[in-house]
Amino acid sequence: MQRKDHAGCCEFKARAAVLDHFPTTPTRPCCSKVAFGASGARRNVAVLGPCAGGSKPHGKDCERWSLRRRRESMTDDATRTLGKGSIPPGPVPEGVIRLYSMRFCPYAHRTRLVLRAKGIRHEVININLRNKPEWYFTKHPFGQIPVLENSKCQLIYESVIACEYLDDAYPGRKLYPYDPYERARQKMLLELFYKVPHLTKECLVALRCGRDCGDLKLALRQEFCNLEEILGYQNTVFFGGDCISMIDYLFWPWFERLEVYGIADCVNHTPALRLWIAAMKQDPTVCSLLTDKNTFLGFLNLYFQNNPGAFDYGLSC
Amino acid sequence: MAGGDAVTSTPCRSQEEECSLFLSLEVKDRLSQKMDLEGQLRKMGSAPPGPVPEGLIRVYSMRFCPYAKRTLLVLRAKGIRHEVININLKNKPEWFFKKNPLGLVPVLETSLGQLIYESAITCEYLDEAYPGKKLLPGDPYEKACQKMVFESFSKVPSLMVSFLRKQNKEDCSGLKEELHKEFSKLEEVLTNKKTTFFGGSSLSMIDYLIWPWFEWLEALELNECVDHTPNLKLWMASMKNDPIVSSLPTDVKTLQGFFNLYLQNSPEACDYGL
Repeated sequence: MQRKDHAGCCEFKARAAVLDHFPTTPTRPCCSKVAFGASGARRNVAVLGPCAGGSKPHGKDCERWSLRRRRESMTDDATRTLGKGSIPPGPVPEGVIRLYSMRFCPYAHRTRLVLRAKGIRHEVININLRNKPEWYFTKHPFGQIPVLENSKCQLIYESVIACEYLDDAYPGRKLYPYDPYERARQKMLLELFYKVPHLTKECLVALRCGRDCGDLKLALRQEFCNLEEILGYQNTVFFGGDCISMIDYLFWPWFERLEVYGIADCVNHTPALRLWIAAMKQDPTVCSLLTDKNTFLGFLNLYFQNNPGAFDYGLSC
Repeated sequence: MAGGDAVTSTPCRSQEEECSLFLSLEVKDRLSQKMDLEGQLRKMGSAPPGPVPEGLIRVYSMRFCPYAKRTLLVLRAKGIRHEVININLKNKPEWFFKKNPLGLVPVLETSLGQLIYESAITCEYLDEAYPGKKLLPGDPYEKACQKMVFESFSKVPSLMVSFLRKQNKEDCSGLKEELHKEFSKLEEVLTNKKTTFFGGSSLSMIDYLIWPWFEWLEALELNECVDHTPNLKLWMASMKNDPIVSSLPTDVKTLQGFFNLYLQNSPEACDYGL
């Protein structure tokens, strides 16, 4: 079973690499939705309405584009961002939940992991964070992602709140434990993690700006030591026990980014954490959402050049 | 801590860090109700308490700590049998770090020796682990709404502590304006919901979680900060009328006396009001 998943993972990477070679044509944002069934099978792309910025009908373009999309990788979110001037999306169809996201955002990544892990039917709308659509501020007061929107027009934001909401609201596999004390433990562990996002981001920025980040890396290593201690004390593979659970998914996005951020050596002295990373990469959900390293680097390059096209890097359309 | 935009998020400091700023207090709990045993001040050199008896839950607390107050309110609201041990935060007993490595209150300890800390986590734990009235809604969306309101409250505690520290010194109009801005956010919630309380027509978890800081307003002479937020003002009045809230009152004069001595770093602060 594990081997099959790993193979799937490799296939994904191969497909994602091919994506990079598709010429990126500057098309208008359109057909920016891909819906997924619970089994992960792709459904046809739904066109939301008149495409942004065009009076010219581009039904054919849409068709060609959607054909190409069906041949693409397994990611459910490989769609162009919506930016300023885009038409607001319509209401969320019943039976589906919508996620406003961005392909490279670690916070949104948490929510995508939970949606996948629980097999929840969802659609993804990616937002251009440097050029936010005006309508997006009706979804979140400060235009942040991730935001969940359901067919009752209810909006949920803050990644941890969104993840807990999904676990509560949807049946099937529970990612948080049932036991109140074990639930509290996972939440206390999350508190222990709170410096990591900021520190990893600061390291990234420092490195990209050619600044020394020795002190930052030291601080990050200290945080990782704390997490190492937890794993050592628990003597379990995952942070919630011997099976992957919510807390592992909440931590994961930043560990996936260590390499592309250039700070993978921060886990050099934390063997249990390295084992956890390896175990996470075996998880089918984590695997299905792994971002190709070159795509990520391409995004980072453009992002640090303040290029608003950064968020769409690697898309063939 | 909840996440947000990857580009602009900043870390949220642990709320409990603020409690270490408070001096210790000798406690002979004058407000002891039948459920609270006499809380004894535990300080450096004191013997560690024994295990928690079955049928009881213990809370390590401090009389004037707003974070710990959240937990006390929930314990009372749910009618949970508990004992209180107050900790000398200025002179912490060594054994207390075994209860919480951060050495902060509140901490819950069960008869199984399980330890839970971070005030919001303790409150949610109590709601889940104990029967009776649920303080958090059962509906996942309503529960998420309470947590989103809680997030939008998150800047208030540090603003009020900053105000406390600045009092009688520099100009506070900037801080007052910031506080006013935060209160406007809360006002908007009440206006949109058209209910008295933050969770609906009756008091629930979110109200207890944010209440302790509103108790400070009068003592800090910040009542004007709710002048332009009528719903919030009404909410405060309704909270004061709640039997649970009024069973754990914070006397304005006592609080002011404590603040006064605290700002002077007086060792007498712990005895104030006793």
